[in-house]
Amino acid sequence: MARAGNRPRHRTLNTGSNRKMASAPPILQLKNVKKSFGSLNAVDGVTLDIVEGELFTIVGPSGSGKTTLIRMLVGMDKPTSGDILLRGKRINDVPANQRPTCMVFQSLALFPHMTVGENVEYSAKCKGIPKKQRKEIATRYLNLAHMPQSYYDKSVKQCSGGERQRVALARALAFEPEILFFDEPLSAIDYRLRKTLEKELKDIQRETGKTFVYITHSLEEAMVMSDRIGVMRDGKLAQIGSPSTIYTQPEDRFVTEFMGEVNSFSVSLGDDGRLASKELAVSFAPPDKMPDGFTSGVLIMRPEDMSFAKSADSALDNRIEGELFNEYLLGSRIQYQVRSGDMTFLIEELRADAVDRALGDHVTLTWRTVDSMVFAE
Amino acid sequence: MGNLSPLTRRMMSTYIGVILVIMYIPIVTVGLASISKSRFFIFPIRKTSTKWYEQTWSSLQIQDSFITSLSVAGCVALISVILAFFGALAYARYDWRGRSIFQQILLIPIFFPQAVLGLALQLWFNSLGINMSWEATVFAQMVWIVPIVTLIIAIQAFGYDAAIEEAAFDLGASRWMIFRTITLPLLGPGVFAGFLFAILLSWGNFPLAYFTSGADVTTPEWLYGKMIGGYTPMVPAVGLITVLLGGIILAVGLKINGMLQREQ
Amino acid sequence: MNEIARSELDNSSAAGGDNASERRPAWKMSGGLVSALPIITLLILGFVGPMVLVLVYSFMPRGSFSIRNAPSIQNYVDIIEQDFYLSFSWSLFLALVTVVILLAICYPLALAIKRVSGRRANLLTLIIVAPLFVAENIRLQGWVLFLDKKGVLDGAFDSLFGLGTGSLVNNVPSIIFGIVYIYLPFMLFPILLGLANVPQDAREAANDLGASRWRVFRDIEMPLAMPGIMIGGMLCFVLSLGAFSEAKFLGKGVIVTISQDIESAFTFGQNWPRGSALSVILIVIAGTAVFLAMRRINLERMLAKR
Repeated sequence: MARAGNRPRHRTLNTGSNRKMASAPPILQLKNVKKSFGSLNAVDGVTLDIVEGELFTIVGPSGSGKTTLIRMLVGMDKPTSGDILLRGKRINDVPANQRPTCMVFQSLALFPHMTVGENVEYSAKCKGIPKKQRKEIATRYLNLAHMPQSYYDKSVKQCSGGERQRVALARALAFEPEILFFDEPLSAIDYRLRKTLEKELKDIQRETGKTFVYITHSLEEAMVMSDRIGVMRDGKLAQIGSPSTIYTQPEDRFVTEFMGEVNSFSVSLGDDGRLASKELAVSFAPPDKMPDGFTSGVLIMRPEDMSFAKSADSALDNRIEGELFNEYLLGSRIQYQVRSGDMTFLIEELRADAVDRALGDHVTLTWRTVDSMVFAE
Repeated sequence: MGNLSPLTRRMMSTYIGVILVIMYIPIVTVGLASISKSRFFIFPIRKTSTKWYEQTWSSLQIQDSFITSLSVAGCVALISVILAFFGALAYARYDWRGRSIFQQILLIPIFFPQAVLGLALQLWFNSLGINMSWEATVFAQMVWIVPIVTLIIAIQAFGYDAAIEEAAFDLGASRWMIFRTITLPLLGPGVFAGFLFAILLSWGNFPLAYFTSGADVTTPEWLYGKMIGGYTPMVPAVGLITVLLGGIILAVGLKINGMLQREQ
Repeated sequence: MNEIARSELDNSSAAGGDNASERRPAWKMSGGLVSALPIITLLILGFVGPMVLVLVYSFMPRGSFSIRNAPSIQNYVDIIEQDFYLSFSWSLFLALVTVVILLAICYPLALAIKRVSGRRANLLTLIIVAPLFVAENIRLQGWVLFLDKKGVLDGAFDSLFGLGTGSLVNNVPSIIFGIVYIYLPFMLFPILLGLANVPQDAREAANDLGASRWRVFRDIEMPLAMPGIMIGGMLCFVLSLGAFSEAKFLGKGVIVTISQDIESAFTFGQNWPRGSALSVILIVIAGTAVFLAMRRINLERMLAKR
């Protein structure tokens, strides 16, 4: 839902796959899929088309239903209602071992009593492929996952965390599925390894051209890897779109706040057409695109969209006077906490642009109206 | 693979149910036999009576056997948990050179034909000039029961995070204090379970008692004697009383265990 | 502990090499030996000693009651010449049959308990196993009263259908039934422990990779549960090898097991050396079987996985 006057500030690389995606037929379709456990609706009506060859990520907080949803797609659970279609065919009743899909589990679920090679060969073994070919297949995918050949006969119990991730990935790839699912596979490893694996996964996906459906609670991960993102909340999809769309044009407060740290103001539409703040004695300029029939709601600003103004400048559309009271170094950025009245705000600026400030200084905050987001409540 | 179909579920529950019933048939039967008026058990029971229980209650012989059984069980349980507690520490907590041999050797008395063990011990006591008595039975039963209780406590000890002890040490606790305030309480549930197990295993044990108790008679021994020759329905009566006592001990034990667990 | 936390632990211990020795604070290194001493003493006095004595006695002349005689292998010769092989064979047969039957009964039972009762599995197991604490004699007596002529089964059928079942005891099948009944908990427990070693997500992953139910059982469940299965099998084998009450009460003497022979040799036969020799042979048979099986199992790993 593009809003006039809001230009996306980040341009994504317009890779070939993005252009292709627009016209490709959906490989997986969910039509109003629901799953309830007793009176609890874990998945509450999800409708979604997944395009072949894309890396689609479902993000959401714990308990939003992501894992339940993916288990239904893989075949571990059955939907209470709704349809799941693979290339147009309904697969609700197809058991997991007959679906051309494969999952990398959160716990990886490697077979502890088998070697690396045996784990990766397993799907081929089930298909009845003879030993020699199995080994070729397994070797090929272990290479793709950057596992050294020397590990082939090692027991998985001897592998480190990162190595186990790769084995789990190779094992799933070796199944040669139509769709590969990932249930938060990187949540249990350290930061640096995770960053490396995220990029590798993305590369592998591009290389193989397979459809990846990925679940994570980390928005950072989703932004880095995905072609499209679906934000899930309380069993429903709040918004679907490309990472940049979701970030710059969130459709409701939940998505906005989920995608990053924000400052929010309770506002109501005043007679002068400006938005009066309920907490501070100021008013703000309304952006061009406002929700229809808006009377009161919330105005949200991202920390990086706010900046320090020179207090002398009186011709500001939006202005808050406050006191600098904390400073956090975030690598290439600095985050400040500013207090005004009873509220605290977060504001970020690049280290390169930073000016020497002292805690306790009086500061003036401002922003471009076009960067603000308003939602009705 | 995730969820079972209702049919499978029902079949599984039925199977469990059948086994459960089979496990308890003899006990129920014994109960029936104990209230049948006639001397020899016939089914369906023509007349019921509690006279066998009255006779049992007043029999000095039986009372003696109960006291013997209880004494043996009590001693076995108390001493066993102490030995087993340390044994479990050696089994699961401490890293020492003979550990794996220890772990294997400990299992042997469990995996052993009890009758042979009982006879061997009789031989042994005899050659040492020790009289067969209920005390000898205590010792004999311990040889078998201590390893079992050790395993029970060891299972608990395996889940024990040694870092807790290190933290206490870091906070200034002496070794004795750590033992008293951390090791003991954390292993408590295992110790208690082991204690219960020891009582119940000793209570129901026959082979070892038979060969080592000499003139003293435990309840299972008394039962055996009557079953071989001189059967009276006091046998099932005593049998049922044993069952009930065992059940009470188990129930009380579970209750206390539940309370201990909640405190954790 | 849920799967994720467990795998994290696996990860960390695998990543940092073997963390086992780091788990125990260094200042307690010798504590193990000290802690083990009381039990070691008990076992030496109560197990090793008696066993050595039995061994010595087995080489004493027939019928003697002291060990101060010159050693001879007369007892063993006697045993081979006389038909003790009969009771040995019966005992072995009963033990083997028992193990096979119990495996067939208890494996599905363990699976069912785990799947159907989930969290209350422990309670259910306890209830099934509780009769263990009632003396063997009483339980076997109960079966006799149930299965014998005019017993519960016979009487019930007679009154309901006019046709009794007659006496179902006094035969070998009833002995087998008795042994299976008595030792069921000893098979169930270890199998349950073994199955606990099978991570549910490994089953799901195998299924996801295309394995049929049978495949999952063969490739995943059985290998991982094998230690438990083997321990249960060994335990039941050895214990039923030494069983004697069942043959006496249910079989009413229709066959004689080796334990009964040993007992008679020590009591009526007044022949300690022969009884000892028989015991030694029995122990050797049982010990060999256990030794062969146990080399392939790491009990600590199984217990520690809980």
